[in-house]
Amino acid sequence: MSSKIVDSLNIDLKSLDRKSKRGLFSVLLVTMISLVGVEISAASPNPDEVEIGRKIYMEGVLPSGELLKGVRQGAVQVEGAQAACETCHRRSGMGSLEGNFAVPPITGRFLFANEDDRPLALVDTRQPKDITRAHKPYAESTLSKAIREGVDVDGKDMNLLMPRYALNDNEVKAVTTYLRQLSSELAPGVGNDSLHFATIITQNVKPEKSDVMVKMLKAAFGQRNSSQQTYSGRMRMPLDLIPRQLRKWELSVWELKGEPETWAEQLSEYYRREPVFAVISGVSNGIWSPVSKFCQQEKIPCLLPSVALPPDEPSFYSLYYSKGVALEASVLANHLRAKDKNKPRRIVQIYRDDEVGRGAVKVLSEALKDSSVKVENRIFPEKLSENLKNIFKGLSSNDTVMLWLKPTDLVAVNKENHKQFPRVIYVSGFLAEEDYGFVSKEWKEHVRVVYPYELGEKRRKNIAGMQQWLKSWSIPLVDQVFQSEVFFDVLLLTDLSSQMIDNFYRDYIVERAEDMLGIGSNFSAYPHLSLSRGQRFASKGAYIGRFGSDGKLVADSEWIVPE
Amino acid sequence: MTYCYRKLYLSTQYMKIIFIILGMLLMSQNLLADISSEENKKVQASQFTKVVADYKLPEVNVVRQDGKKLSFLKELNDGRPVILNFVFISCSAICPMLSHILSKVETQLTKDGQKFHLITISIDPENDTPSALTVYAKKFDAGVNWDFYTSTREASLTIQKAFKAFRGDKMNHASLIFLRPFAGKSWVRLEGFMSPDDVVAEYNAMLKTQ
Repeated sequence: MSSKIVDSLNIDLKSLDRKSKRGLFSVLLVTMISLVGVEISAASPNPDEVEIGRKIYMEGVLPSGELLKGVRQGAVQVEGAQAACETCHRRSGMGSLEGNFAVPPITGRFLFANEDDRPLALVDTRQPKDITRAHKPYAESTLSKAIREGVDVDGKDMNLLMPRYALNDNEVKAVTTYLRQLSSELAPGVGNDSLHFATIITQNVKPEKSDVMVKMLKAAFGQRNSSQQTYSGRMRMPLDLIPRQLRKWELSVWELKGEPETWAEQLSEYYRREPVFAVISGVSNGIWSPVSKFCQQEKIPCLLPSVALPPDEPSFYSLYYSKGVALEASVLANHLRAKDKNKPRRIVQIYRDDEVGRGAVKVLSEALKDSSVKVENRIFPEKLSENLKNIFKGLSSNDTVMLWLKPTDLVAVNKENHKQFPRVIYVSGFLAEEDYGFVSKEWKEHVRVVYPYELGEKRRKNIAGMQQWLKSWSIPLVDQVFQSEVFFDVLLLTDLSSQMIDNFYRDYIVERAEDMLGIGSNFSAYPHLSLSRGQRFASKGAYIGRFGSDGKLVADSEWIVPE
Repeated sequence: MTYCYRKLYLSTQYMKIIFIILGMLLMSQNLLADISSEENKKVQASQFTKVVADYKLPEVNVVRQDGKKLSFLKELNDGRPVILNFVFISCSAICPMLSHILSKVETQLTKDGQKFHLITISIDPENDTPSALTVYAKKFDAGVNWDFYTSTREASLTIQKAFKAFRGDKMNHASLIFLRPFAGKSWVRLEGFMSPDDVVAEYNAMLKTQ
């Protein structure tokens, strides 16, 4: 066996030798040309060429307007968006994990740099040793071979998932130019020894809530900063031993005041003074769309704020725990529809005439549009002094209501109507904020909570870690669900930054969050959190809860995931 | 001290030798691979393994793309041979590839006049609702013999575990296709890169051996 290997080695070494002699001149020529190429593209990438490259990379569209075509696995044709490089290598170019296959980063810094200058990147978080693959630096000619023939710089056939693309020379060149500039500079907010984040508090948030959020974030940042001298955050895995730049986490608190129309300006001013890499956590009493618009416009990742109604507009950079009251409305519609013959004849929604109230009412009305359940909407009076007795006017003990109200309003309604009230009173788990003081003895049997969090023993277990942590930092427990969200945010951020090593690009952190939200222990109040490409809401269902004999909320339904 | 240093020095020398030998071995393998690369190209599209296995399948409910709640076992055991796989809609490369393959397989088997049932199970059931699966089915031109199923998260996990297809998270799913001629028979488990022709050939071979 070994003599065979030696024989083959000899034969091939000889042939290599002959080839290298013959090709010496051409090798030199190619090197010179590629060096010139590097010079030109490093100086100023041609914007037209970058745009052509972008269209191929991101959309799978050729400059002719035709679709990009490739052959995967020797037989499977792919074209257009499905063939676009972005599908696997992602927007950032930093790669991903496709099943068991690690898709490597392919930005210029990874492809063309010498091994010594190449940054480290981790593709497969399950195998922290599997960092940036060792390969010779690519030149334009070898990259072209990789793209068109599926043969890598070391002459090996590439993974069968990598399509072999039908691209002409100019198109390959455009893709190359695009890759050279892609994720080539660290994002704003990333310093040599610092990483800057902001958290956002909108007006009218209860001070005890915003205070506790800031306290938790500051404590977590402090804990992280004091420990990173010895390791990269949490020493849980070999990943933490990968050498990296030590960066201190800094936190800015951006408070938004006045009319929501003025928030964009306030945010721009904050950002101008303190550019941040990402927004972490955040809290709003209602409206949030100016913030999400700002994050989208400035391409700032906005990671998991606590908001009751995320804006209904597509946004790459904003990730949320759930759709908030809109999710509850869909869950309730599903629940009512599934009652078949026991469906109520009508449901009366009572709501505050604000963005959250109107949003919730709209979703439930639409979701029940073609059902036999009639939806009627009533606005809750602006001033509590008005007679709340009329709020249930005309409703009999056979009726069903949905109260899209907060605890103070719920208490007021109960006070005026504790004797005569509809048969079933649904309330929103989001808006009730765990405060069920309004549930009087008379109401207890009749109240149902649309509850988007975990219940019982599982919830207790999930939360235990946070409670311990709060104790150790002497931080009060004000709102369990809300604080568990903040806690989850900092844990997620620690994991993400640890996995990103030194590659602090904004698209990349969003992609990493998409991939990893489903992994690891659940420290949140939700039964399960998971995202994936394009998904922006991590929890997707709710229970219908009722009050047990001991006064505790228990599940009265399965976990309902609406259509 | 000197002794320790010497020992260390010796061990680094040994390491160097081991590395050189390893390097030579690796190089020679690459060169061997180069020589036979022409032969490799012919079989390149078919890098899969085939295993015959028995799985104890769970009694759970699933929801078909038309919203109907059904028993998973009844769906499997309706008398038709079964071709089964797992996908999730937001998956970017492996799942679309598998779905593309199954689409071709369905076309071919229908052309051959075969009776069969293609079953695709979602491993991201909370996202992949029946209506989302309907859209997905349309994208891959699914015909009457191909159904898509969602379920509760627990039921999906139970099914994946029963087929030994669960890898800890949806991101870690593998390229798997399962075939079975009828209830009570063993499953043929195909894993890796296979072409539509490979699947059709394996399907026909499986029926023949019955």
